[in-house]
Amino acid sequence: MMQRAAAPPRGPRGSSPSVRGGPRGGIQKNRGGGGPARVDKDGDLVMDAGAAGGDKRRAGRGRIGGSPQPKPLTTGRTNAGPSRGGNHNLHRAQAILRGMESKQATVLETRITAGGASSLRIDGLSSSKAASNPDRGLEALLGFLERKASGLDAKSNRPVKIKKSSMKGDSVIITASQDDIDQIQKLDKFTFAGSVLSIRACDPPSPRDGKSVEKKETVSQAAQEAKDRFRAILAARYDANLKLLNLSALALDTGLREMGVFDGSTTTSKVFPAMMVVCEGLFKSPQEKRDAIISVTLADNNLADVSAVTTLAQTFPDLKNLDLSRNKFMDIKGLNAWRWKFRHLENLVLTGNPIESQPTLKDELLRRYPNLQIVNGVTLRTPEEIAAAKAVAEATKSPIPIAGPDFRDVSQVGENFIRQFLPLYDTDRIALLGTFYDAHSVYSLSLNLSSPRSPEHNMPIQPWTAYIKFSRNLTKLTHLTARMSRRYKGAQAIQQVWSALPSSRHPDLQSHADKYLIECHPIPGLVDPSGQSPRGVDGLIITMHGEFEDQLEATTEKSLRSFSRTFILGPGAPGGPQIRVVSDMLTLRAWAPLALPQIASISPEIQPAIDPEQQKRDAITMQLVEKTGMVPNYANLCLTETGWNLEQAFIAFTANKDRLPADAFIQGVAR
Amino acid sequence: MADISEDTEVKVATDAAQHFVDTFYPTLGNPKTKATIASFYIKPTLVSPQRPDITLNGNVMTDPSEVQKMFETQIPKAFYEVQSFDCHLVNPNYNVGLDDAALGPNKDGKKMSIVVMVSGSVKYYKTSEEEEARAEARGFTETFVLVPNQDAQNPKAAKGLKRWLIQSQNFRLVL
Repeated sequence: MMQRAAAPPRGPRGSSPSVRGGPRGGIQKNRGGGGPARVDKDGDLVMDAGAAGGDKRRAGRGRIGGSPQPKPLTTGRTNAGPSRGGNHNLHRAQAILRGMESKQATVLETRITAGGASSLRIDGLSSSKAASNPDRGLEALLGFLERKASGLDAKSNRPVKIKKSSMKGDSVIITASQDDIDQIQKLDKFTFAGSVLSIRACDPPSPRDGKSVEKKETVSQAAQEAKDRFRAILAARYDANLKLLNLSALALDTGLREMGVFDGSTTTSKVFPAMMVVCEGLFKSPQEKRDAIISVTLADNNLADVSAVTTLAQTFPDLKNLDLSRNKFMDIKGLNAWRWKFRHLENLVLTGNPIESQPTLKDELLRRYPNLQIVNGVTLRTPEEIAAAKAVAEATKSPIPIAGPDFRDVSQVGENFIRQFLPLYDTDRIALLGTFYDAHSVYSLSLNLSSPRSPEHNMPIQPWTAYIKFSRNLTKLTHLTARMSRRYKGAQAIQQVWSALPSSRHPDLQSHADKYLIECHPIPGLVDPSGQSPRGVDGLIITMHGEFEDQLEATTEKSLRSFSRTFILGPGAPGGPQIRVVSDMLTLRAWAPLALPQIASISPEIQPAIDPEQQKRDAITMQLVEKTGMVPNYANLCLTETGWNLEQAFIAFTANKDRLPADAFIQGVAR
Repeated sequence: MADISEDTEVKVATDAAQHFVDTFYPTLGNPKTKATIASFYIKPTLVSPQRPDITLNGNVMTDPSEVQKMFETQIPKAFYEVQSFDCHLVNPNYNVGLDDAALGPNKDGKKMSIVVMVSGSVKYYKTSEEEEARAEARGFTETFVLVPNQDAQNPKAAKGLKRWLIQSQNFRLVL
């Protein structure tokens, strides 16, 4: 599996009584008859209905304000209660839901009603070096636990996730799924930042009072039924045309009232998370969810803050439109739980709330939501303004502008080398050594185990076991003998290392040029293998940044790594290959997306030399150059991005010309 | 090529690289030392007109003074952490720009050119405290070619002269 697509970012910890994690694995909803269901250790229904009432350890959690009477299983269709708003679209909405339910019936997670997953108590953080961090080291500890626990089982690619965390005195309480808890528990007595951790199971949650035994046996039944009812309610409230989920005036919803979910204050806060879990289960992928629902209204719900509905942000993180009108929001604090959520929100309605009169409201909202354009129906900024602001923000993050690769080749030597090197390194390292390496070529690799990572790509790092014994990271390797022994000189010595390293797969240079940044400069003063020039000969220094996937022969596990590699190329000795590798240095780090230039760049080395297609493009490029006064490089970029459509390229140019740097134009200025 | 023993070669190269990363990065980040950035690079002279080859994030810099000026004016403060580095000998007898009389080998490795690759993180700060707290670490890879500083070879040279200077530099933010 390519790891890039891995786990979604961690949500906030311990901030809400919310449900974490996506839909759990499937369960057949049409279990035979009314037999009592079994709940497995994770709270999910167990598929074989025959094991009636076998496991009662954790029963009592799976109730959703349900009735003790088993009711016949219903589908969303037959049970659609009277609804508000979306009735005319009922049919279409149902069709959507119907299509989904056959493919994936997701169990209403029983954990939402009560204690949920298991908890662990961790001691030792306070005496670690991390305790001086602003958060007392909590985040560092959680990252450590997730990383270590994920790495424990080399065969499992599944990242361990901590769902919730909180600090009680000097102890940290964490919650996770039972499987993950089992893994994390193995880290007991591990050393974290100089302190030995003690990890123990938390005291079990106090027994729920007054819940009779006979109810337990119908718990899952009730949950199943509740799920179906929620589906019906959601179906009625979905407008497929507007891609709107109408969650307004929930308290007046007869369907919900029938279920008894609004009969007391305690259940009110549970109904919403439960409904969100059902929502979550309706979609096969985040993309499907994004496509189906872009707007949600929570109008008329008497909300003074968002605590009761905070899970909306987890289920629909990519909402574009959100209506909170006619609630009771007093001030911005009521929205604080969503301070860092809804990063794609474009339109927010807060009319009919006391908060509306606050003069600073709009500025604060614009500050919070980077893509917000419209508040209460008034357009406050345009997408163009937002893009410009982002460009400025990006510039401050890197004071040195990020430009495309600077590839100064000589007679295509560098280009040809890279084109041959990448596929050969993946498929035939011996042939590669024979082609470019000689008895004086030097190779080494170094691991950077502490490289910064992107907050959006927090997946666990696969173990570096296969590399670590070769690593010549000189910050760690201080003894001369080690520094010598991990420098490999000559094709033979290099071959021994390369044959011990995992096999690799680099992305195809032609079709995945965006995965690479390759730079090449001439360099003087290399050894002349022919011995003729005492002042040395010229060569090339090439630095390549990118990623590859590796795989150990013993396992089927694949991991994605980021790398940088520097080559020094010089002329070969007489009688040998024309080009030799003088030096080959590889550095590896945890995978993270490559910081690409803001304007996607076309590396010169991946353009085919001359072909008719290219000539045609050159002609179009020159036309655009004439029209716009841009230098050919930029014209080329502009055309590439618009699919070589001259008209569209010109439109794109007109829209962006004010943001182009001076050197984009032949005379230094826009025409 | 066989004039320098392997252990001398590795010792001189790794020591030079170590000293270089230990001095260069703190200089870049510290407002008080930025004025000395240009002194890390080779200087073109009449005898040896070669200029350093500097590329930062794909931007070619024509002169070390340009780099220094950029750090002085656009980067109030930066913190570099070298998380990994490695180096190789490139040429045991680097003779670019030398008199004919000085072309001979040096057994002690004083004429070596060395390639250094660094992997690390950098935080760029604005001046205010708040910004400092919020600065995020970015990953970088940087490759240098270091060559002997001819001035330091002279027995009469002033003390404290850098023994190795940057002939080639290529910096890239990779995250």
